[in-house]
Amino acid sequence: MERTFIARNPSILWFLLGLGLFTLVVTILSEATGNGAISTSFVKTLGKTLMLCLVAIAMDVVWGYCGILSLGHFAFFGIGGYAVGMWLMYARTKEIVVENLSNAVIPATEAEINGAIGVQIFGVVGSSEFPWIWAFADSLFLQLLAVVLVPGLLALVFGWLAFRSRVTGVYLSILTQAMTLALSLYLFQNDSGLRGNNGLSGLQNIPGIGDFNQAQISIGFFWASAFTLGAGYFLFAWVLDGKMGSVIKAIRDDESRVRFLGYHVESYKLFVFTLTAMVAGIAGALYYPQAGIINPAEIAPIASIYLAVWVAIGGRGRLYGAVLGAAFVSLLSSWFTGGGAPDINLGFYIIQWTDWWLVLLGLSFVIVTLFFPCGIGSLFDKLVRRQQ
Amino acid sequence: MSTLLEMSGVSVSFDGFKAINNLSFQISEPELRAVIGPNGAGKTTFMDIVTGKTRPDTGQIIFGEKNISLIGMSESDISCAGIGRKFQKPTVFEAQFVRDNLGMALRNPRSPFDVLFFRGSADNTLRIEEIASQVGLTEQLSRTSGELSHGQKQWLEIGMLLAQDPRLLLVDEPAAGMTPAEREKTTDILVEAAKTRSVVVVEHDMEFVRRLDCKVTVLNEGSVLAEGTLDHVTQIPEVIDVYLGR
Repeated sequence: MERTFIARNPSILWFLLGLGLFTLVVTILSEATGNGAISTSFVKTLGKTLMLCLVAIAMDVVWGYCGILSLGHFAFFGIGGYAVGMWLMYARTKEIVVENLSNAVIPATEAEINGAIGVQIFGVVGSSEFPWIWAFADSLFLQLLAVVLVPGLLALVFGWLAFRSRVTGVYLSILTQAMTLALSLYLFQNDSGLRGNNGLSGLQNIPGIGDFNQAQISIGFFWASAFTLGAGYFLFAWVLDGKMGSVIKAIRDDESRVRFLGYHVESYKLFVFTLTAMVAGIAGALYYPQAGIINPAEIAPIASIYLAVWVAIGGRGRLYGAVLGAAFVSLLSSWFTGGGAPDINLGFYIIQWTDWWLVLLGLSFVIVTLFFPCGIGSLFDKLVRRQQ
Repeated sequence: MSTLLEMSGVSVSFDGFKAINNLSFQISEPELRAVIGPNGAGKTTFMDIVTGKTRPDTGQIIFGEKNISLIGMSESDISCAGIGRKFQKPTVFEAQFVRDNLGMALRNPRSPFDVLFFRGSADNTLRIEEIASQVGLTEQLSRTSGELSHGQKQWLEIGMLLAQDPRLLLVDEPAAGMTPAEREKTTDILVEAAKTRSVVVVEHDMEFVRRLDCKVTVLNEGSVLAEGTLDHVTQIPEVIDVYLGR
C-alpha cells in the first residue's frame, strides 16, 4: 500500500511510453506533418486500430476480469459512432445546403434550409422528414453527450434486468447477442430514422474547421485516438488496481462466495458493464469519423464475436493483451483481406487470402484456446518473470 | 446471554422433497454449537436458508436485538448484517494473494463506489497482519492463495471469516481433510472465536465435536431430533438409530 499506483503497475508506464513513441513515429512519417512515408489512408487505419484496441480493453475488463462474456460491446461501439455521425452528417449537409442557397435571389428561410437538409440526408430512404431521433443533431455537445450516455443507459437497463435475474455464463452471452442482433436488425429498417442499411456516410468530412485537408484531419484524429487510448488504459488500470480489482476478479472466479462476503455482486457487474459500454461508445465515436461510414452491418453480432476473438488471442485478464490482440489481428486482417498477402498457388488450387483469411482466423482461435489459453500477452508475462 | 438467531417453523421443499421440515432453532450470543446429523438431514440446506441462498417456503428467521427478519434479504445484505459462512470445500480466491483475500473480507464499506476509491490504510494493513498471525499465515501473506496447502486454505477461509467480524459464524465441516495437528488448531480457533460471538459448526466427525465440548443439535429429515450435550444426545435411542447406529 505504500507504493504509488504507477509503481504497482509498471506496465502502464511502458504502455504509455510505447504509445507515445508510436504516435511520434507516425506523425513524423505522415503526409501532413512529416515526410509522407505513411499514406493518409494508412494513418486512418492506424488511428482506427487504436480505437479497436480501446474497445478490446473494455471487452477484456468485462470478460477477462469480470467474467461476463458480453457479445454486445461492439454494439455500444457502433452506437457511439452513430451518435457522433449524426452531428457530422447534419452539420456537413447544412454547410453545403447553406452555401448552395446563398446565391438565391430571395434568402432562404430556416424552414427551407431544414427541408433541404432533410431531403439531402433522408432522400435515400424516401423521406425528407427529420425523425425524432435527430432532434439534437445540430448540437455537437449534445451528440457527444449521447456518445457516452446512450450506450451507458442501454447497458445500465439491460444489465440491471439481466444481472438481477442472475443470468450468467453462456445464457448471458446469448442474451447480449440477442440485444445486439435486435439493435442491428432495427437499424437495417429504412424507417429506423438512421437511414437503414445505407447508414451514415461522409463522416470523414469535418464541418466547421475551415480548409484542413484530409491528411491533417487524419493526423488530428490519430492524436485524439492515441490520447484516448492512453487515457482509457490508465482509467481501467486504476479501476482494476487495489480492492476494486480484487472484487471484480473474485466475481469472475466465484460469484456466490463474493456474495457471502457481503458484496452486492449485481451492482459490481452493473458498474463494470456500464463503464465499459461507455468507453466502447467513446472508442466508436473516434473510430467512425476515420472510417468515413457507419452502417448497421458494423453492429451485427459477428463484430462483437470478433472482439471476443481478439481479446482471447491477445490474452484475457491483462490489459496489454487486449491491445496486442486487437492490433495484431485487425491489422493482419486488413492485410490479408486487402490483397496485401500474396496468393498461394498449390498447382491444383489457388489459395486466395480474401476467401481463406477467416478460416485462418478461426483456426488460430481454436489453437490459441486449446494450447495458449493466456494468448499472446502471456509471452510478455514470461519475459517479465525471467527478468525478475 | 441473549438470543441472536431464532428460526421458527421453517420448511422448504425441493420438487416435493421436504429438505427442511418445520425446523426451529435458537442460538445465543456468545455460544458455540455443533450441528450433527446423517447425510441428507438438511444441515447444508439449514445454512443455505440462514445465509439467504435458499428462500424458505414458510417460517420465520429473526436476527439480532433489532429483530430483523432475514427472509427475503439478499446474501450480501445478510452477510453485512453480521452472518458469515465457511463452506465445506475451502473456497478462497486462488488467483489472488492471501493479503488481497483477507483485505476483501475485512469489515469496510461494501458499495462499488466505496470500494473503487478505497486505497488501503495503515490500520487496514495492521488488521490484515493481525488476522494472518491469528490463523498462522503471516509468512504466506504475499503468496498466491492457490499455492497454499489444503489446510492453509481452510485457515485462510477461517481468517477471512474472522476479518468479516460476523456476530454469527456458520462453519461447514471445518476439519475435513485436515491432519490431526491442524484439527487441534482449528478447534482452538473456533473455541476462541465463540467466546465473543455465536458459532455454529456442522460436522460429521464425532471426535472433533467432542473436542469442541459444546451443546449439540441433532438434525434428522429436516427437523431437530435432539438437543443437549454430546453425552446426552448419544444416549437417546432415536439418535443412535438414525445416526450413530449406522
